[in-house]
Amino acid sequence: MPIIYKKNKAIFNEIIGVEEAEGLLEWLHQNPRGKIDLGSCTHLHAADLQVLMAAKNLISVQPVDISLAAWLVSTDIY
Amino acid sequence: MNQLLEQFLSEAREFLQSIAEKLLLLEKEPKSTDLIMELFRLVHTLKGNSGLFDLPEMTRVLHASEDLMEAVRSGNVTYSVLLADTLLDAMDFVGMLCDELEANGNIDASHTSESANLSQMLRQLIWDVNNAPVCEEHDHESVLLNEFYRKEVIPKDLVQQLSRVSEPIRLAAFSSAMQGEPLHWLCYTPSEDCFFMGEDPFFQARQTPGLVGGGITPREPWPKLAELDAYRCVLDFHVLSLAPLGELNEFYRYVSDQVEIVTILPRTLIIPQGDLDESPVYVDFVTEALHLLHQGDREGLSLAVQSMQELANPELWISSALRWIVLVMTSGQEDSDEILKVILNSMQSCIPPEWTATKKEPSPAQPSAPVHDQTLCVESQQIPGAGGLLSDAMDVLVTIVAAQREILALPCDVSWLAGRINGVASVLSGCLGIIGREDALSELRKATESAVSQGTAAPVLEWLNRTFPPNTGQQGMPSPTIAGVKPILSPTGKQGVGVGANPARIPSSAQGEVKFGRRAEDSFLGTKILKVDQVKIDRLMNLIGEMVVAKNALPYVSGRAESVYGVRELSREIKTQYAVINRIAEEMQDSIMQVRMMPVSFIFQRFPRLVRDISHRLGKEVNLVLEGEDTEADKNIIEALGDPLVHIVRNSLDHGIEPPDIRRSASKPSAGTLTICATRESDRVIITIKDDGKGINPDFIKQKAYEKGLIDEDRLNRITDQEAINLIFAPGFSTADEVSDLSGRGVGMDVVKSAVEKVNGSLLLESEKNAGTCISLSLPLSMAVTNVMIVASNNQIFGVPMDVVVETVRVPRKDIRSIKNTQTTVLRGRIIPLKSLNFLMGMNTPPMASDEDELAVLVVQHGGEPVGVLVDDFHETVDIILKPMTGVLAGLAAYAGSALLGDGSVLMVLNIKEIL
Repeated sequence: MPIIYKKNKAIFNEIIGVEEAEGLLEWLHQNPRGKIDLGSCTHLHAADLQVLMAAKNLISVQPVDISLAAWLVSTDIY
Repeated sequence: MNQLLEQFLSEAREFLQSIAEKLLLLEKEPKSTDLIMELFRLVHTLKGNSGLFDLPEMTRVLHASEDLMEAVRSGNVTYSVLLADTLLDAMDFVGMLCDELEANGNIDASHTSESANLSQMLRQLIWDVNNAPVCEEHDHESVLLNEFYRKEVIPKDLVQQLSRVSEPIRLAAFSSAMQGEPLHWLCYTPSEDCFFMGEDPFFQARQTPGLVGGGITPREPWPKLAELDAYRCVLDFHVLSLAPLGELNEFYRYVSDQVEIVTILPRTLIIPQGDLDESPVYVDFVTEALHLLHQGDREGLSLAVQSMQELANPELWISSALRWIVLVMTSGQEDSDEILKVILNSMQSCIPPEWTATKKEPSPAQPSAPVHDQTLCVESQQIPGAGGLLSDAMDVLVTIVAAQREILALPCDVSWLAGRINGVASVLSGCLGIIGREDALSELRKATESAVSQGTAAPVLEWLNRTFPPNTGQQGMPSPTIAGVKPILSPTGKQGVGVGANPARIPSSAQGEVKFGRRAEDSFLGTKILKVDQVKIDRLMNLIGEMVVAKNALPYVSGRAESVYGVRELSREIKTQYAVINRIAEEMQDSIMQVRMMPVSFIFQRFPRLVRDISHRLGKEVNLVLEGEDTEADKNIIEALGDPLVHIVRNSLDHGIEPPDIRRSASKPSAGTLTICATRESDRVIITIKDDGKGINPDFIKQKAYEKGLIDEDRLNRITDQEAINLIFAPGFSTADEVSDLSGRGVGMDVVKSAVEKVNGSLLLESEKNAGTCISLSLPLSMAVTNVMIVASNNQIFGVPMDVVVETVRVPRKDIRSIKNTQTTVLRGRIIPLKSLNFLMGMNTPPMASDEDELAVLVVQHGGEPVGVLVDDFHETVDIILKPMTGVLAGLAAYAGSALLGDGSVLMVLNIKEIL
């Protein structure tokens, strides 16, 4: 599973595809205070990204992947 | 080049030709709905065809043309000469792409911008009309169109966007750009439904060549999560890249209408960021630094900056500015003094990121935009009040001036010219008022008066060019206002209205100047391919057939000349002439057959896709190997082969090749191999389809066949494995218990077999359990000429196709035995059943024996078994053109057809399979 949903936390693993966006949105909707762990994420589809951007301030762990992290800095996602 | 592409190119040329013709016809009768429909259909088909290939440039232009034609067809746009010109240009462009495609096998990415520009012009034609007051009724379609052509404009807030790129990245990019690398800022605005087209714009942006940094911004404020549509893309991507423009265009060629690329000067990156601290200590520093700079004391300046850096908190805005100063000083740029001065000045005024304002400062060293003394910017600097113009206002002013220039450039042969000139004049005088150039008003008034009196816009245009000189090379666009930003590609910007394109790259716009070096007067490039109706070839074929037959009469004539008339000399001369005619006729026949020849790749082409789709559906891994694709055979044969081959391949995939896990457990590679191979063997084409799957289990087949009642119990026990395998060709046979979309209907292999036999082909199946199956199809090269053996029986002659003849033997009558009711003989240790041709044909005469009491036996192949046919005598073999039986005779299954012989007699060719 690219995204592992825990009680209050969603852990993103490696590459997150477009099909995850709907589930992610649903989860965020049900867990408005849920945190996102991007630690081992290397890429996420633009659809997932915009869900995270819309949800705001949910990132608990920044991605280790430097280039992804640099991109995310520009998005006010943190 | 592949066959499909070749075909596409030859068709595309025809389409282009007809489109041009139709357009010209339309010029004469612009109201003709038929012509418009026809034109639409042509453009539509051409677009569809181009979509088969990886030709985004071509497809885009054709798509725009199609939209335009659609608009014409639905009456939203009326036909005009401009429309025809634009369409012709577009078609010329497509023609040029075709030429390039043919010459190089691909299309250079450099055409992307031309293509974008052309489609833009085409869309402009629809857009103009939709905006015109005439078409105010907002029907559904025009609303859609409006939405479709809604434009994103060149980034106005470039600085703001750039400032989103973190400082270290900008510092690094600045240094690289100083080394001479090109610096581009790219705005990628993916379409809202791009996710549904399988795109990931974020991935695309991250893969941008030469990427240094980038940013992502939402297009609109975020809605509540509950209202968010995750699959509607609302993100814009910005990328700072060090790659050359060509590479970027190539990378974004599929979405070039969603991408805007501007070349930026490195200095644009200098945007100090950080906390503001308006402590006066900096003022002293700035004064000192400016002084040092003025004196050219670089070392002193460097020291001062260094000590200042030590003092200041690195988080401060001022430290950021200092970092930039250090970088600029070490970069060794020619005009670094200028830049330093600007940065220092901005520090002095302590106004946060001031680079925006400084953009407008005259800087003689700017390489990309030479600034003349008279330019708008300089003037606005010199005149009190105008210098304070905000950059937005400046943009507006530039836009207005450019629009006026365009209006003035319109043809002057209209009755409302005076009104037009006066309108322009009043707009311009308004502008002069705003920027405080009232002094120029009188001159403008004079120019206007002379223009109205002369009936030409030239004087005003002249004045305009004098006062607001257009930048050299950049028509209608005083560029200094956007100094540092040189628009390169703005496919989405409206033409000539401020955000116009750089004519150096995109041949300018609305005037229809675009020529792609292909006009009617240009030399006509003849195509090498001639398309001929098959009927004509068939007629040629028939004629040459008659010719061959007629020529065959000559030996008879020569024989008669000698035997009947006794003129030996003449007989010999006839024979010589016959040899010549024979040679020519044979060559002619050969070349006509060549015309009908097609490579088997024509049917092979569909297999990669078919195999891929089916194997995915079945969850199997298959490597497809195609061999001998250029083997040629007659068109009819090739066409008849298509469906049977698909059947066989499907069967191999469905029944032959096992799923990966089973294959692995059988210690085979997890991916199966399917080989389709075509070879030529003398006058036949052999096509083999071979897989390395589980093979056919003969016991299983026997059992199934028995269950289905195809064989009886007796046969079940006696049947050999090879015979059992061949049972899969029996009608009604199927091993699958359930009918799937792939197989199980029991109409598979027997259909294959009959289709192959219909074109005189034969089929051979070999299979080894767990090792694979191989099916070989043997087909004649051509159906046109048939080699038959002539046999005589009951004083008649018959033809027997040579491909069923195994051998001819004479068997002494005593060697013929009767087993039950059947006569047999033993030939090389094998029992062969004998059948009398007379009996088979319903004639009651017994076969005639020779003087030595031997019977002539023609051994033929029937269902894999030899069968002897008793005839009276054998004659020679001849090549004939077999004519199928027609009319009432078509019902006689015993004959495959008839042919004319050289002496004018008719030869009936037997269908051995039917009569046995």
